[in-house]
Amino acid sequence: MIGRSVARRRRAAGMAVLAAIMLGGGTARAQDADLVRRGAYLEQAADCEVCHTKPGGVPFAGGRAFDLPGIGTVYAPNITPDMETGIGRYSDAQFDSAVRRGVGPGWRHLYPVMPYASYARMTAEDVRAIHAYLASLRPVHAPTPANQVRFPYNIRLAMIGWNLLYRPSGPLADEPGRSAAWNRGRYLVEAAGHCGECHTPRTMMQALSVTKSYAGSVVDGWLAYNISSDVDSGIGAWGDAQLSAYLSTGHADGRGTAVGPMADVVSHSLRYLTPEDIAAMVTYLRGLPARRSDETTALVTPAALRQAAPSQSNGGRLFASACAGCHLTDGQGRQVDHAAIWGARSLGETDGRNLVRTMVEGATLQTAQGTMSMPAFGPEYRNQDLADIANYAIGHFGNRVGHVTAGDVAAARAGVPPS
Amino acid sequence: MLTLQVNGAAHQVDVPDDMPLLWVLRDVLGLPGTKFGCGIGECGACTVHVDGRAVRACSLPVVLVGDRPVTTIEGLADDQVATEVSKAWLEIDVVQCGYCQPGQIMAAVALLKSNLHPSDDEVDQAMAGNICRCGTYRRIRAAIRNVAGAV
Repeated sequence: MIGRSVARRRRAAGMAVLAAIMLGGGTARAQDADLVRRGAYLEQAADCEVCHTKPGGVPFAGGRAFDLPGIGTVYAPNITPDMETGIGRYSDAQFDSAVRRGVGPGWRHLYPVMPYASYARMTAEDVRAIHAYLASLRPVHAPTPANQVRFPYNIRLAMIGWNLLYRPSGPLADEPGRSAAWNRGRYLVEAAGHCGECHTPRTMMQALSVTKSYAGSVVDGWLAYNISSDVDSGIGAWGDAQLSAYLSTGHADGRGTAVGPMADVVSHSLRYLTPEDIAAMVTYLRGLPARRSDETTALVTPAALRQAAPSQSNGGRLFASACAGCHLTDGQGRQVDHAAIWGARSLGETDGRNLVRTMVEGATLQTAQGTMSMPAFGPEYRNQDLADIANYAIGHFGNRVGHVTAGDVAAARAGVPPS
Repeated sequence: MLTLQVNGAAHQVDVPDDMPLLWVLRDVLGLPGTKFGCGIGECGACTVHVDGRAVRACSLPVVLVGDRPVTTIEGLADDQVATEVSKAWLEIDVVQCGYCQPGQIMAAVALLKSNLHPSDDEVDQAMAGNICRCGTYRRIRAAIRNVAGAV
């Protein structure tokens, strides 16, 4: 479904480009078409779509709810060029101010759930290109639900102070002495890709921590992993090929498959990036300072997994019947590479946070070969059964003692957004 | 246009890359021996061999098969292990309604080809993903053990 809508949108963008060329005929129009094309790619790099689309909704028409614990619920607005409910009336300057400064028309301060503190480091030309691309889309009339934000957070002007403290003042300047790939990678990771918005823990002021950059953080009930260069708890032990495969396809053998919000990021954003841009991101990520965190990776090879005696525990038997059909007990996956789970980080986490969430929510990833999906395990399994499966999997694949409880499963079930 | 190696012959098929192998086998190549069960890889009715390994054809995008040989239940007619398996199946009347049985037999043959004398645990592990609504599990396991004794 998502794949089709993306294709439709790309076609629409292509037609808009064509129409612009045919109608205008002049150089100016051709430049516009070029700008739209560039904007389409940059939109993918900045991944606007995933947040500005509600589940099952029209892409970019907004309405996706963000629950901010203790603060309230904020809805992503419609960013199609609809005159009344979208951004059809925005000038380039107004769009730029919203995206890079967090200030919408009429001095309306945005909440930093919109990652403008990251986008502030994008260049004005790139943001203008994204605006040109969004303006080429079909307008959709879709009013955004009103935010429900508690006092004192509902005083939007309070954001002025936050912005003074935490909003970068302008785009990243290339660091001389660093390679072009590193500088490009930094732009994609820090500015457009806004990776730190999930992977970096926040301070009490909701700003991204500097001392714990990329050390991992819990977002919407999912653990966004430590992606610093630490060998034990980050990605320091990953090979370059593994890292680029994970970013561009959502899967790397020996590292598992992206699920949850990261699957969305791969599906809508990373898989469209050029091999050069992915390589640049890998170069930059490799150089992030190492930050230790509690999580550590555990790697048990398929050869060792095959030697393990079959488990007669409840979890082991349930795994054999419910999970091994696709994943196999050696974790190599039966029919598709994406089902190969040996070495996945979720299986080394003793609290099973992402593992349990994946079991109860299922997983979907868009790839060049079509949709890869794992079904959700619903009420036909008792909470204790799923906890037993999780603890078995953590022990078998991660060589750790899992301590997932029925209560954890119940909490994960409660956290699954209605589809 | 994709070229698929099925049961020893090459087939040209003009299908979308992400069409499940099962659809190609049944609806395009006219091989209905492989059954559609759940469609999400949870029941095993659609089991075929790709490169000798038992896989679920319902959730394998056809483009991922590549040039690896595919074998369906129709392709096992002259296979020695499969002949022993079908004899063992008949001997103790394993089948009840029969819908899941092509998948069960494909899984059993794949197991026996890689491991002719599997332990009970190994049988259970290899057959765990193949569900039988009639509950013929005990006879399936007994028949697999009988093949191991016969070959």
